[in-house]
Amino acid sequence: MIEALSIPTLVIGTAYDIMSSVVPPRAAFVDHPVGRTFGAPHDRERNVAILAKALTELPQFTQPGMIRDLHCNWASDGSRSWEEELRAEMRREH
Amino acid sequence: MALEYLPIMAQNSASKAPRVLAKPSKFAWCVVSKPLIQSRVALLTSAALRLETQRPFVPREDLSYRRVPSDPAIEPLVIDHHSGIGTVPKQDPEIVFPRIALAGLLSRGLIGNLSPQHFSFMGGVRQHAKVEQELAPALGHELLDAQVDLALLVPY
Repeated sequence: MIEALSIPTLVIGTAYDIMSSVVPPRAAFVDHPVGRTFGAPHDRERNVAILAKALTELPQFTQPGMIRDLHCNWASDGSRSWEEELRAEMRREH
Repeated sequence: MALEYLPIMAQNSASKAPRVLAKPSKFAWCVVSKPLIQSRVALLTSAALRLETQRPFVPREDLSYRRVPSDPAIEPLVIDHHSGIGTVPKQDPEIVFPRIALAGLLSRGLIGNLSPQHFSFMGGVRQHAKVEQELAPALGHELLDAQVDLALLVPY
């Protein structure tokens, strides 16, 4: 809708499966827990780094519907233990 | 491999009507033609985020939107979204609405300008036709009025 008005859009999101289902015009994937797209609370350095990375990726979107992985891991050691913690959080807060 | 959220959402919402992910009825795409350093940029969030002084969003089917000043000094911001992932971003909305970070990128010369206003609405509503026919066009015209060259949408 917005792109039909000749305004380019960039979705920056954490849920790859949802983004690939709804197919936004262009999307940047951040492999963080949902609700922490730009990092942990009050981590301003990381907030800026991720936003800058997404924006500098823009020229790589050469076709409609592309999802580009920004290769941002939540844990510095690549651990995915946050997934189970997030599942528990989502169950608890539901 | 990326975490799959759809099964988690389905499991946590098992007692409700199944959520349907909607695609736009007409897909649109335009080329990014203006260099970033000349572009006016706006943020859009589906977090139902607002200034504390603005009218609250009403979960779950609120189709209104709020104009949020792009100046990070104008605060505080609050999040009205009912999502189950709300506790952490409510501590620091910047992690889903990088208003300070975007202003910082303007200072560094990465982007050309900020839209005077960013925009916020309620994500996860089930009235998809109204989102497409009412909310999205209204936001589109707000972006046109603000002469925005690039809109960044951060789903909540």
